[in-house]
Amino acid sequence: MFFAKILNYIRLAIAYVRLNWLSHIEYRNAFYIEAAGMFLNNVIWLVFWVYFFKAFPTVPTWTSSDVITLWAISAAGWGIAFVIFGNCRFLANIISTGQLDAWMLYPRHLLSHLILGKMKPSAFGDMVFGFAMYLFFVRPDFPHLALFCILTVSVAILFTGFSIVAGSLSFFLGNAESLALHLEFAMICFCTYPAPIFEGRIRWLLYTVLPALFVSYYPIEALRNLSIEQALYAFAGSLAFASIAVYVFYFGLKRYESGNLTVMRG
Amino acid sequence: MAIKVENLTKQFILNKRDGWRSIKTEVLAVDSINFSVNSGQSLALIGPNGAGKSTTIKMLTGILHPSAGQAKVLGLTPWRERTRLAYQIGAVFGQRSQLWYHLPPEDTFELLSRIYNLDRNQYKEQRNLLIERFDLGPFLKTPVRKLSLGQRMRAEIAASLLHKPRLLFLDEPTIGVDIVARQELRDLIREWNKQDGVTVLITSHDAGDIEHVADRVIVINHGHIVLDDNLSNMRQRYLSSKILSARFHGEHKTVDLHGAKVLQSANYSIEVEIDTSVVTTEKVIKHILELGTIADISIEDPPLEEIIAHIYSQPVTNNDSSTHT
Repeated sequence: MFFAKILNYIRLAIAYVRLNWLSHIEYRNAFYIEAAGMFLNNVIWLVFWVYFFKAFPTVPTWTSSDVITLWAISAAGWGIAFVIFGNCRFLANIISTGQLDAWMLYPRHLLSHLILGKMKPSAFGDMVFGFAMYLFFVRPDFPHLALFCILTVSVAILFTGFSIVAGSLSFFLGNAESLALHLEFAMICFCTYPAPIFEGRIRWLLYTVLPALFVSYYPIEALRNLSIEQALYAFAGSLAFASIAVYVFYFGLKRYESGNLTVMRG
Repeated sequence: MAIKVENLTKQFILNKRDGWRSIKTEVLAVDSINFSVNSGQSLALIGPNGAGKSTTIKMLTGILHPSAGQAKVLGLTPWRERTRLAYQIGAVFGQRSQLWYHLPPEDTFELLSRIYNLDRNQYKEQRNLLIERFDLGPFLKTPVRKLSLGQRMRAEIAASLLHKPRLLFLDEPTIGVDIVARQELRDLIREWNKQDGVTVLITSHDAGDIEHVADRVIVINHGHIVLDDNLSNMRQRYLSSKILSARFHGEHKTVDLHGAKVLQSANYSIEVEIDTSVVTTEKVIKHILELGTIADISIEDPPLEEIIAHIYSQPVTNNDSSTHT
C-alpha cells in the first residue's frame, strides 16, 4: 500500500516534470540561456574558491577536491530539488496572493502536490554543473559516485524542506516573499563554505535555523571517508528538517486566507 | 441530495490600521444560510460583489472552514473530506485557469488523468467523448496562449469533466467571452446537466447565464439568502411591469392612460412601460389599439438584469427564505 502510494506519487512527479520541461522549451533559447548562465555562474565561483584555497590554506584539512565536492553536491542537490519541486520557491507568493485555492480543488495531499507545480530552469544548470564537476574534477570510483548520487537526494530533501519553511512564513507574516528569498540565499551561501570554519554558536545555528551543515559537513565527511554512518546523519538531518517543514506548512495553513486573483498555469 | 447546507456561517477577522494601532474587525461574510440542492439540478447562486457567494462556494469545495454550521456535499463534509470530495466534483473558475498556458490542452488533460488517478482506458474514452462533444479537435494541439477565450473556456470546462464529476461548480464561466461563444458554453453546460445528470452550481453576473443554465436561483446578499426560487416564480414575484412595443401603419395619437409610461415615441412606433399594479395589460392594449392602425404589437418582461438589480436593492432582513429543493 505504502509503496503503491510512493509509486503513484513518482508517476505524478514525472508527469509534472515532463509538462514543466515542455512548457519551458516552448521558449528553448531563453531556457538554455538561463540554464547555461547558472552553469557558468557556478563555474566562476568554483574557480574563485579553488584558487582562494590554494593561495590561503585556511582550512588545513581541506583540499581543492573537497571544495569541488562541496560545490558539486550543493549544486546537484539544489538542482534536483528545484527541477522537481520548483514550486517551493514560489510558495511565499502563492500563499500571500491566495493562490492555494486552486490547489485545494485537486484530490491530492496539498503540499506534496503543490510543490511539483513549477520548475526553475536555472536549476537544470545547477544539476548538470554538480554532476559534471564531480565526475570530471574529482574523478570518483564507483562507490564514491554511488554515494554522491544518494547524498544529492538528501541535500535535495533539505533544500526543499528549507524552502517550504521559508515560504510558509507568509502564513504568519502576510507577505514573506522577499524574506524567503533572502533566507534561501543565506542557506545556499552557508552551504558552500567549508564546515570546519564555523565554530561555537554559529555551528549550532547551522544545525538548526540555517541547517547548512547537513550539506557542508556530513555529506562531505561521508564522501571523504566513504562512511555510511555520516551519510545516515545527513539523511536524518534532512528528513527531520523536511518533517518540520511539513508541520510548519500545515500549522500555517490554518491561518490561510483565500483570494481571487486571476492566474494562468505553466 | 447533492448539497445540504444548514446554518452555514463564515466570519473573517480583518485588521484595520488606525495610525500605529491595529484594530480587529469581525466581518460576517456568510450569515447562517440554509439550502439544499437535489442531484441533477442546476442552481444559480447570484449576488452582488462581496455578497458572500464565493465564500459559500469555497466552503462547499473544502477550501475554507466555516465558523459555524454544517454542509454535506455528495454526502461528504467538504472541509474534513476535501480529498475524497475532489474526486467527485469539478470546478471551473472564469478568472483562474487550470490549463497550462504555454502547452496545448491535450497536455493538461494528460496531467489531470495522473492527478485524478484515472484508469487509462476510461480516461481515453472520456477524453475522446469530450473532444467530440466540445468540438476541441481543431485546437487540441494548439498552445493555450494562442486560443481565443471562447475556445479556452470550452477546453477549461472539458478539463473539469475528465474525471466524470457528479457536481460541477462554475464561477463566472463566461466572463469576458463574446456573445456567440457565451451561448455555446451555456448550451454545453446545459447539455451536460440534462443528458449526463451532472448537478451544476453556477455563479455569474450575466443574466443570460442564469436564464439559460439554471432551473433555480438563490440570491445572496450581505451574507443572507434573500431569494430561493425557480426562474419563472422569481420573475412573477418581482415583476410589476411589462414592456409593450407597438408599430403603426400611420401616425398615432399620444398615450394618455394612468399606469402606462411612454419610454420611446416616434412617428410610427411607441414603447410603453405598463405598471401592472396600477393598470391591467388588457386595458393598455385596448387603449393602444385606439391610437392608430396597428401593424405589429409585442409585450415583453423587462430584462432579467432589471429584476436582479431590483432584488439586490431590497433591504436585508435576517430571515432566510424557506429552504427549497
